[in-house]
Amino acid sequence: MITQRDKILAAVEKPTRYTGGELNAVLKDPNSVDVRFGFCFPDTYEIAMSHLGLKILYHVLNKREDTFCERVFAPWVDMQEQLKKHDMKLFALETGDEITHFDMLGFTLQYELSYSNIVRMLMDAGIPVRAKDRDETYPIICGGGPCAYNAEPIAEIFDFFQLGEGEDMMNEVVSEYVKWKKSGKKNKKDYLEAIARYDGIYVPSFYDVTYNSDGTVEKIVPNNENAKPKIRKRIMADFDTAYTPNSIVVPFGDVVHDRVMLEIMRGCMRGCRFCQAGYIYRPLRERKSETLLNLAEDLLSCSGYDEISLSSLSSSDYSGLRDLTDGLLDMTEKKKIGLSLPSLRIDNFSIDLMNRVQAVRKSGITFAPEAGTQRLRDVINKNVTEENVLKSTSILFKGGWTNVKLYFMIGLPTETMDDVKGIAELAEKVLGEYFKIPKEERAKNINITVSTSSFVPKPFTAFQWARQDNRDMIIEKQDYLKSEIKSRRIKYNWHNNRTSYLEGVFARGDRRLCEVIIKAVEKGCQFDSWADHFKFDTWMEAFSECGIDPDFYNMREREYSEVFPWDHIDIGVTKEFLMRENEKAKAAKTTPHCREKCSGCGVASFKAGVCCE
Amino acid sequence: MSNYILKFSRDERVKYISHLDFVRLFHRTVRRTDLQFMFSQGFNPHPIMTVAQPLSVGVTADGEYMKVGFDGDYSEEKIKDTLNKNLPLGYEIKAVKQVFAKEIDLTKIDRAIYTVEVETKDDFDINSFMENKELIVPKKTKSGIKDSDIRPHIFELEKVDKTDNSIILKMTVSAGSQYNLKPETVIEAIKKYEGADMGFIKIHRNALLQGNKDFLL
Repeated sequence: MITQRDKILAAVEKPTRYTGGELNAVLKDPNSVDVRFGFCFPDTYEIAMSHLGLKILYHVLNKREDTFCERVFAPWVDMQEQLKKHDMKLFALETGDEITHFDMLGFTLQYELSYSNIVRMLMDAGIPVRAKDRDETYPIICGGGPCAYNAEPIAEIFDFFQLGEGEDMMNEVVSEYVKWKKSGKKNKKDYLEAIARYDGIYVPSFYDVTYNSDGTVEKIVPNNENAKPKIRKRIMADFDTAYTPNSIVVPFGDVVHDRVMLEIMRGCMRGCRFCQAGYIYRPLRERKSETLLNLAEDLLSCSGYDEISLSSLSSSDYSGLRDLTDGLLDMTEKKKIGLSLPSLRIDNFSIDLMNRVQAVRKSGITFAPEAGTQRLRDVINKNVTEENVLKSTSILFKGGWTNVKLYFMIGLPTETMDDVKGIAELAEKVLGEYFKIPKEERAKNINITVSTSSFVPKPFTAFQWARQDNRDMIIEKQDYLKSEIKSRRIKYNWHNNRTSYLEGVFARGDRRLCEVIIKAVEKGCQFDSWADHFKFDTWMEAFSECGIDPDFYNMREREYSEVFPWDHIDIGVTKEFLMRENEKAKAAKTTPHCREKCSGCGVASFKAGVCCE
Repeated sequence: MSNYILKFSRDERVKYISHLDFVRLFHRTVRRTDLQFMFSQGFNPHPIMTVAQPLSVGVTADGEYMKVGFDGDYSEEKIKDTLNKNLPLGYEIKAVKQVFAKEIDLTKIDRAIYTVEVETKDDFDINSFMENKELIVPKKTKSGIKDSDIRPHIFELEKVDKTDNSIILKMTVSAGSQYNLKPETVIEAIKKYEGADMGFIKIHRNALLQGNKDFLL
């Protein structure tokens, strides 16, 4: 029998994006549960299935007998056409059922440029976009992930946000949902009041925002007695024993990260001043290597993967790295499994390790000095010296590597043209290290790639007060850098200034932007992080039709006295500490990392991880 | 090293998995079991496994073949049971046969039987279609699209069923490395020679044969 499903799936590229049924995917009888939960990732299957948070929370939810969590991803444009043609709504992967009347939907907010896809997914699902327009027959919609820390631009869309790590929080909000559902689901507000009492839960409709005449925020005050004046993020304080699934869904098709990801730690102790992840995930917490080795064994044997990768913000800071890698190599060498070691500092130990890991293939190595001069690296507190970089690359070249990527940002606070020139000079010096090695000892065909992204100031960083470089300035700096790179062995890649601009607007945006986002989607914007689909001019039209000047959000230096749209969120790191860091940045003074000396960022109040070592 | 011929089926649930994805999936399946693959020599050792006639995306099948090398002398039963416990739902190993030489040579596959459902409101006469001395249609070859006479490569064609919106055909056609005739191409010929209006095509491969003989039952 020819079915509608046959016709739809024959008309789209990569049909396995939509079929579900992968190994270790969870199937339950929807009638046997209280809660049908849709875990939504607002991008394609390949991106979504590479995300560790989804893999964890999918199993956290499905471990509950009363809950069936399915995955819901953004359908690609060809599938959107099919849905429209066949008058169908957005569906979940496991059952293929429409999500329009699921109990809960949880969106992961990984990057600002996915906001348009959230709106589009709700529209495709036939769900009213704004929370106030959804009655109790529609799903409760929540969000979490890094962008939830300032989700004000999409606050009107969501019923609530989860701030911080979701392993426990997810269970709390689902349990409260079950109670509410069993009491007859009378009033959505009752449910939201019940969860607002938990740490980490932010119900935007329970807060009123008022503005000053200059457009800045005057104050954010709770309008409901259950809402806390400050919402504190949640962490898994004992990360070693925190729940982590010992099973993993294995996609049929190619996805971006198609391997076992072993989360060795959370948080980072380095304190790079531009890095939001470095602040919001504090404090640094590790899993014991023994725990990790058992987990690795389980994940490899249940998935059949032939590659495993360490996952953390800075693997070299893991205190038991030698034990862990020895143990992993014992396991992987026997089974012919590849081990990848991202975010490693290059030294003799890691080179030795890499030689053991990839006996033959010498794939590319990426360094992130982030800035071209020592002065600017001190400003951003990136504790890498030129000597480090040159020494490491020299070791690499001697070891036979010839593909080196150097990653920088342009547009950092206090940056001058000399700093931009410094990028080219550093790349030339790296090339110089290659030529210092006698011809017979080095591999042929040296390849150096310099990549620059444009700095976007983010909330909860030392640079949250900074002005973002305007697009003309970014282009000028990119052009200057192009002209300064003389060797044809050095390739230069740069980021689109337009996406960085829009990212900057939303990163520090407020609630007034919601209207713009919905309007832009109505005008056809979606998949903004996909170059082929990004419609900058349409976005600008949407801003002007809403009477909002986007420059207000990223083209001005903010005062210390300004109230930020995210000031009611408490990540543990204090605003005072971030101010101190900003001042030290201006003076190009560095701050030691957490194990060297505690700098009193405030996160010690969580009494966990590196703060208690 | 021991070589085995595996006969397997795939159903609706997994019919969109491409050949390359199936190979990877099979590798992963074996890694989840206590069966040991035989690996190739060389810089990038990979498991030794060959799929006889890769299926197109969207096609279901009853009797596909592959040859796999294992590093161990496993019983046929053990391989069948172990794999069936570990393959994703939708794939099933139907039969396993250990081979020592070329007693089963999958490169000798030269025919396939398909059941093809086609959306059409038109009816046409199969006998008159089959009476054509030649059936010239454009066919994809390694060197581009060329006109080819497919008549000698249709051994049997029968109408199994007809509804208001579709017909179901069963066909035995050439398959394999010498000449591979896709059911879609046969439908193209029916359109051209019988003037029938044909829509969506749904294909199921019933068997892969050498002459009239199946390799494993």
